[in-house]
Amino acid sequence: MVLADAFIQGILMGFLFALISLGLTIIFGVMDIVNFAHGEFLMLGMYTAYCLSISLGVDPLVTLPLCGAVGALLGLVSYYGLVRYLLRGPMVAQLLGTFGLMLFLRYLAVFLWGIDYRMIKKGLLVGKSLTIGPFHLDMTKVVCALLSLVAFTVVSWIIFKTRVGKALRATSINREAASYMGIKTERMNALAWAMGGITVGIAGGLLANFYYIYPMVGLLFVMIAFATVALGGFGSIKGAFFAGILIGILETVFPIIGHLLKTSIIGPHYKMTIVYLAYFLVVVFRPRGLFGWEQ
Amino acid sequence: MGAIREAFDFSDFPLVERIGFGIFCLFLLAFPWLGMDSFGMAVMIQFLLFSLFGMGWNTIGGYGGQVELGKAQYVGIGAYTVAVLMVRWDIPYWFSMPLGVLIALGYSFLIGYPLFRLKGHYFAIATIATSLVLQDIFINWNFVGAAKGIELPIKGNTFLYMQFTNDTYYYYFILAYFLAGVLYMNWFRKSKLGYQLRMIKIDEEAAESLGIDARWCKIKAYAIASAFVAVGGSFIAVYNLYIDPESVMHLELSIMIALMAMLGGAASLWGPIIGAAILVPLDRYLGSWLGGHKELMGVDFMIYAAIIMFIAAFEPRGIWGIVERYRGRRT
Repeated sequence: MVLADAFIQGILMGFLFALISLGLTIIFGVMDIVNFAHGEFLMLGMYTAYCLSISLGVDPLVTLPLCGAVGALLGLVSYYGLVRYLLRGPMVAQLLGTFGLMLFLRYLAVFLWGIDYRMIKKGLLVGKSLTIGPFHLDMTKVVCALLSLVAFTVVSWIIFKTRVGKALRATSINREAASYMGIKTERMNALAWAMGGITVGIAGGLLANFYYIYPMVGLLFVMIAFATVALGGFGSIKGAFFAGILIGILETVFPIIGHLLKTSIIGPHYKMTIVYLAYFLVVVFRPRGLFGWEQ
Repeated sequence: MGAIREAFDFSDFPLVERIGFGIFCLFLLAFPWLGMDSFGMAVMIQFLLFSLFGMGWNTIGGYGGQVELGKAQYVGIGAYTVAVLMVRWDIPYWFSMPLGVLIALGYSFLIGYPLFRLKGHYFAIATIATSLVLQDIFINWNFVGAAKGIELPIKGNTFLYMQFTNDTYYYYFILAYFLAGVLYMNWFRKSKLGYQLRMIKIDEEAAESLGIDARWCKIKAYAIASAFVAVGGSFIAVYNLYIDPESVMHLELSIMIALMAMLGGAASLWGPIIGAAILVPLDRYLGSWLGGHKELMGVDFMIYAAIIMFIAAFEPRGIWGIVERYRGRRT
């Protein structure tokens, strides 16, 4: 029973993980660059939802479009201000560059808001719960999971069904060939960063509904996103979706198993360890993930 | 014998660099008599320590070109081995330090073997992941003091446990490590492994086609880097007399180590020293200045982050790269 409950919680978190990882995988797919600052984009999305809902006195869910806009702006500024220059350098420079961006945004948040943990306490859904049969679920989590599912579907629709999406995918498959076909690959890079920013900004706005908001929150989720993207296959959108759910289940069910077996060796304090280990095992033993291309 | 002669042989450097380094060494030896206050002394010790870390990172990160962001786990292994053995069984430093280095070497082979199947970003993220796993284990492991950390017993002035009441002793202690590190790196860069690594960095496939076992070379360089860092970690244990997972295994420590070498100039002998000479005083003096201004919290890290981004975008070869470009020659 406890296990089934954890399972459902895991799936709900999984939808959100999938949305967080979506941006990372799009950016990686299009330009082969890992954005270490992805978690910090998420963190800033959370702060956006927090500040707006406090200062305007509205429900945090109303602020979602603005969270997306902030994310998009972050993505574009990062691309035009930094990443464009990093692309000319060696891979070492690309890694350290986005790493620097991560540190910068994190300590910008420390500077602006301090290191206190914050939480949104007011809102239409905060504190309400949904009862389906024997399961009691947090209303906020259910709604957030559903909204992430919607956002994920919309973005995948854009990528798979529209003309722009086709150009984006062409760029990610073969940059040179795409540019011969008249696709402006430079603009596709910017688009990838903007889309990555929007999705993760919205994910941040959703997460802010039920998670603590603090400047260091990014590291936790960026590691989850790395594990998710690695598991699903770098650059794969379908992979990000299923791997997100899998990681969500892993993260919630694992501590319960320790509880059921009455050992303290497996417990909630190791729930992140299991995510890191999952990443490590996947990249070592199946580097292309579940749905990635054979390299 | 040949190796020792090689280590002391700086003759392939230009005269200016040799004289500069000689003067710098004299300055380091004379430093405690220059009348600096205890804060200046602490900064200097920190500088030598981080130069040592940076030199270690340089073997795999600089010469080998692998972005390694998990060095803090070896700082932790070195520091914890010394601390735990001293607290539990009263074992002297000179026995526990080599043991810590051996453990670090063993652990580095253990995880280096699967790790170096990976390349590029996969590798970089995996090094972070392994470091975080080890940190999680130490945070929850009661035997080593868990999250509270571990306090070393005070022994007074003793060379056996390497504990002193005066910082001057610690200064010469870390200076000895530093100079040994410089000599080792001077030998390393001319060694067979050093050349193999540079070849791998330029073109791994070409290196393999010449019969170099790239993965094995990287594992060896990674082990050397880990040993260096573990020695530095053992120094932290006896110097601070208190360690916890937050202070010796944190991700930011790994970043600082890589950053100093990158900033100074990876794959050069002087690079990590220059990087540490800039960043450590910046860190300490900025930190002490900002300590009095609570509203400016976080600004120091924003400044580092800006430096990282700037270096990565415009001069990935670091400050030494700028010097060499100015001179118009490559080494």
